Amino acid sequence: MTSQTKADVLKRHQGNTNLNAPSLAHVMLSENDLGADGLIRPLDERIIAATADALESGQTHYVDVPGIAPLRDALAGFLRSFAGAAYQQGNIIVTAGLQESRFLAIQMIGQNYDSIGLPEVVHPGVRKALGTRARKVVSLPVDTSAGYLPAVETIAAAVAAGCRLLFLESPSRLSGAVYSAEQVAAIGEIVTENDAAVIWDQGLAVWVAGDYASLAAQDSEVARVATIGEAFPGMGLASWFIGYIAAPEAWVPPMQSQKQIQSICTSTASQYGALEASQLFHEERRQRLDSLRESRNSVLQVASEAGLSVLSGAATNIIALRTATGAEAALAKLRSAGYDAADGALFGAPDVIRLNVTNSTADALRALV
Amino acid sequence: MSKKKKQGTNLLYNMIAEANSYDDVIVMGRGDPDFDTPAHIVDAAKDAMVNHHADYTPPEGLLALREAIAERVKRINNIDVDPATEVVVTNGGQEALFLMVVAANGPGDEMIVPEPNYTTYADSLAFAGGVKVEVQAFAENDFRADPADVRAAVTEKSRSLLLVSPNNPAANVISPEDMRAMLDIAIEHDLIIIADDIYDLFVYDDFEHLSPASLPGGKERTMTLNALSKAYSMTGWRLGWIVGPADLMARVRELKAAISGGTSVISQYAGIAALAGPQDPVEMMAEAYRRRRRLVLDALDEMGMSYGVPQGGQFVFADIGFTGLDSGELAQRILTEQHVLAYPGSAFSKDRKDYLRMTFLQPEEKLREGLERMKIAMGNIMAERQS
Repeated sequence: MTSQTKADVLKRHQGNTNLNAPSLAHVMLSENDLGADGLIRPLDERIIAATADALESGQTHYVDVPGIAPLRDALAGFLRSFAGAAYQQGNIIVTAGLQESRFLAIQMIGQNYDSIGLPEVVHPGVRKALGTRARKVVSLPVDTSAGYLPAVETIAAAVAAGCRLLFLESPSRLSGAVYSAEQVAAIGEIVTENDAAVIWDQGLAVWVAGDYASLAAQDSEVARVATIGEAFPGMGLASWFIGYIAAPEAWVPPMQSQKQIQSICTSTASQYGALEASQLFHEERRQRLDSLRESRNSVLQVASEAGLSVLSGAATNIIALRTATGAEAALAKLRSAGYDAADGALFGAPDVIRLNVTNSTADALRALV
Repeated sequence: MSKKKKQGTNLLYNMIAEANSYDDVIVMGRGDPDFDTPAHIVDAAKDAMVNHHADYTPPEGLLALREAIAERVKRINNIDVDPATEVVVTNGGQEALFLMVVAANGPGDEMIVPEPNYTTYADSLAFAGGVKVEVQAFAENDFRADPADVRAAVTEKSRSLLLVSPNNPAANVISPEDMRAMLDIAIEHDLIIIADDIYDLFVYDDFEHLSPASLPGGKERTMTLNALSKAYSMTGWRLGWIVGPADLMARVRELKAAISGGTSVISQYAGIAALAGPQDPVEMMAEAYRRRRRLVLDALDEMGMSYGVPQGGQFVFADIGFTGLDSGELAQRILTEQHVLAYPGSAFSKDRKDYLRMTFLQPEEKLREGLERMKIAMGNIMAERQS
């Protein structure tokens, strides 16, 4: 039996281009899948032991909507020490992964603003999060020579034109490019002077080898910037789906209410795993960063020798290439050699591919030549 | 009994926070079973941490789990689904609920909701821009929603019909006859059915649970949710699912990808163990709830409270109108004076200020103690009224 109601529902969804934006795999499908957001990585035995202890001691019930207090403390502490932010426990919501962070922040902070400024090149999960409820989007042109980030002047122009909420990635989820300290200060000024607000995705910042400038550090009164990211990335928890939002206290209640409506709380196993990861993260990160920097330098050397065009980027865990023949042809070539990479077209940059930096990346680049 | 300062931003948050501040609190509010998750499920999670912690899971969930879900809904609910295309795994029943409502309803669309009902349905509908059309039911009829009233509520803007059985908070089970009538209405008026079967394993006496998707003509217009939270005491694992026709489920999958991307792989492996492993713990818990239900109803009878006889679920929705107090005021007094947490009916519907929801999710000794304390509170209140 045909149903006109169902046909209408399907038509509405199918016509929603944002909702139908593609999904990127959250973790590598194999050793040679260099296109996923997260790496396959062994799990520290201490994380397994701590999580198992929590489950065996009965931590299998609902917990507070914004997350268990020790993890919120740990995340606030991490953001203070790493990013110079002034967040406290009350600013933190633990989420069921980065995508839930994007969704809650965009939808619930966004409902206070007429529009949201979005880089033309951005992680496809951002457009997907926008697709669940109509929002007016102000497209921010990007500077291809600066790793596909919108220039400060572009941001200023959008704000001057009345756009009071911005979604920005630093590092870029495509290229790994970051805003410099001077640029971040300038963005902070624009935001403050115009009573604007920013959702700032800094999830990849932990893989920046040098100094990292967070917009949250410019927001000393915690009034204008919400930061989002994965909780302690690189610790092997990508498939546990655990993320965070750190936001001004006034912004927390609507996001917390929406979190209650859509998932009540985040898996306790994921939260206790992340809590243990918070203890190990600082020592692990330094070692991983050194190793990634070394690997990325080797990859850059191969790229240089092969005449490949590498986009500027500071995050050591990814490398983005501008292809002469378009991403599709490059990806086909990689796949024929047994590798995969992320298609820049999914981000809005059809001539770019993105690869994770692993032991396989240099060989993948050689296969491209 | 010591009391700490209240926290929180709304009624239930305040009450939960206050309850958490009492060492001797007896919780008969939140729908969180007191049993721990069965050991074999925890063991499966530990194994997953060692062997599968980084497995890729698509937004719709691991195929092995979707296969276990398909087997379960066939065995328990008589719903045939293809695990490849007709199942989406979710972060608990709550995310399933949100996804179903947002998938089926857009701005201005009307969803018919037999009342009282779980408030998150209204919240989710509000997110989608839809409009709730209420059909009222009352304790004197054991909260039966009359299909004739549902039919009368249909308008040109009606898009969906919510059928929660057993119902939360009213605990009534839609009879097979009424369920068939509801489906007839949905077919006649071309409505999508949003079915919530989360308490389907907890049905009492001779009542019978029937899933609308199992009936002829039902599956192609019905999305059905369930979760492991209540049946396996896994509320903290956040694992649920939706089954439905492939075309609608393809849209639900995209919404799931937009809202949260995926579901913890550790919870998913635990879920496979729950569904495919021994079911004795579920039977043990169901038996315990049967005993506790009797205990609670006997105590309510002693207190002179009327209620809809709970035909299913894990709670009772009792009429407290005779106290002369608003349910929020009454629940607050019981909590503050006797350290017993029960949920006011006003938390479920603005029209249910004369009701209190009490769960039986505490060990029997604690339940007895909680009910004794409630008797004291009620006695005090009635004495005040008479003085």
